[in-house]
Amino acid sequence: MMGLFSSLMSSFLLLAILGFGLVLIVSGNAEVDALYAWKMNLSDPNSVLQSWDATLVNPCTWFNVTCNSDNSVTHIDLGNANLSGQLVPQLGQLSNLQNLEAYGNNLNGTIPDEFGNLTNLVSLELFFNRLSGPIPGTLGKLQKLRELRLNNNNLSGNIPMSLTNVGSLQVLDFSNNHLTGDIPNNGSFSVLTPLSFHNNPGLKPPKYQTSPLPPAPSSSAASSSVLSVSSGSLLLGLCSCLFSLHYLLVLLPYQD
Amino acid sequence: MVLSSRTFCAHVIIINFLLLLSCNMVYGTPTDIFCLESIKKSLEDPYGYLNSSWDFNNNTEGFICRFTGVECWHPDENKVLNLKLSNMGLKGQFPRAIQNCSSLTGLDLSINKLSGTIPTDINHILEYVTTLDLSSNDFSGTIPVGLANCSYLNSLKLDQNQLTGQIPGQFSTLSRLKVFTVTNNLLTGQIPNLRNISADSYANNPGLCGSPLPACQAPPSKSNSAVIAEAAVSEFIVCHVN
Repeated sequence: MMGLFSSLMSSFLLLAILGFGLVLIVSGNAEVDALYAWKMNLSDPNSVLQSWDATLVNPCTWFNVTCNSDNSVTHIDLGNANLSGQLVPQLGQLSNLQNLEAYGNNLNGTIPDEFGNLTNLVSLELFFNRLSGPIPGTLGKLQKLRELRLNNNNLSGNIPMSLTNVGSLQVLDFSNNHLTGDIPNNGSFSVLTPLSFHNNPGLKPPKYQTSPLPPAPSSSAASSSVLSVSSGSLLLGLCSCLFSLHYLLVLLPYQD
Repeated sequence: MVLSSRTFCAHVIIINFLLLLSCNMVYGTPTDIFCLESIKKSLEDPYGYLNSSWDFNNNTEGFICRFTGVECWHPDENKVLNLKLSNMGLKGQFPRAIQNCSSLTGLDLSINKLSGTIPTDINHILEYVTTLDLSSNDFSGTIPVGLANCSYLNSLKLDQNQLTGQIPGQFSTLSRLKVFTVTNNLLTGQIPNLRNISADSYANNPGLCGSPLPACQAPPSKSNSAVIAEAAVSEFIVCHVN
């Protein structure tokens, strides 16, 4: 009886240990999962993602991935990698991501709204792809974003006003897309010029203040008398100038 | 010395041709590489800041983006976003060749030894400029009205130069202007009405007046009609001397 009980206990213990171990393996690393989910959505003819192994404890040894000292992803460098496919919402889980470079590929589909969760993002480089749909308004939450390059895609819809709240913006390029509506000129967009938006036929440039502000009220009488004195000397100067010209062109040639 | 009419005409034609030629030499190929090459040629670089870093022999994509003071739109494309050449001891006139950097939004030439005037057609040279810092140089002449057409200007610093004349009244149309300083110049006259620009932005210009500085004074006692009569008489004399 005791023997049966003890063997039952040890089997139970063994199962518990195995089960626990299994749970450990299955839960893995959330960042590994997120990036691997993206890999599953990509076609990779150059085998750039060959090192992206889902069985590893973290993605920090993967090529084109950089981590910080806590083994959390900070940089993804996949520019000009001949990738096709789409971005995935899971990428929004990379909470320490600072640079996402996926420019010059063949990516289609939309920019996920979940990118608004990448609160440490400093640069987002998705230019020269085939991305479509709108620019997510959630990108207005990215308060550290300095460089936003979405040029040369098929993006449509309006420019989200929330982006004018991203005070850190330094370089923005939305050119060569199918964006429509007004170009904001307030907040962080005050330093942006048509250079950032060219070749979006449906975009309307901001209106400018056509009438100047009224002049300060104080000394308008003084300024008008200063004006009349200078106009007298202006007439004098103009007349002597015209006279000299007349002499050079008409009178001089006849003095042979 | 008297000239026959034919010789005179010939001289006029030659002068016009030379003028045209010099104009073409300024407006060459509209690329950013040409822009920087021309700027380097037009400025004196006594400390060799540009000479050491601006090497045009290694011609790879985006190579100018690695030059000192050059910030590009994209690190792999030769398209200049900002040019920051502050405190390099540079001498010469305002580099007009910068017009060829057609995507430029920021220009900082502060703390150098640049001289001469600020070009009157500056709005054609720097069409999209948002930040312009020409402070601490030896620029003279007037502030060109053309700057009022640089409608994207957020920051304009002209302090510590030898600029004369008035601040153009048309500056009140610069709706994005947030920073504007002209301290330590030789400016005179009425200050235009600019939002959010305080009095210390205008300090050390003995002739500047009007809000936010004290109001402009009335002119000396000589009457207007006397002055105009004087001008008319001297005009009559000169025009009929021959």
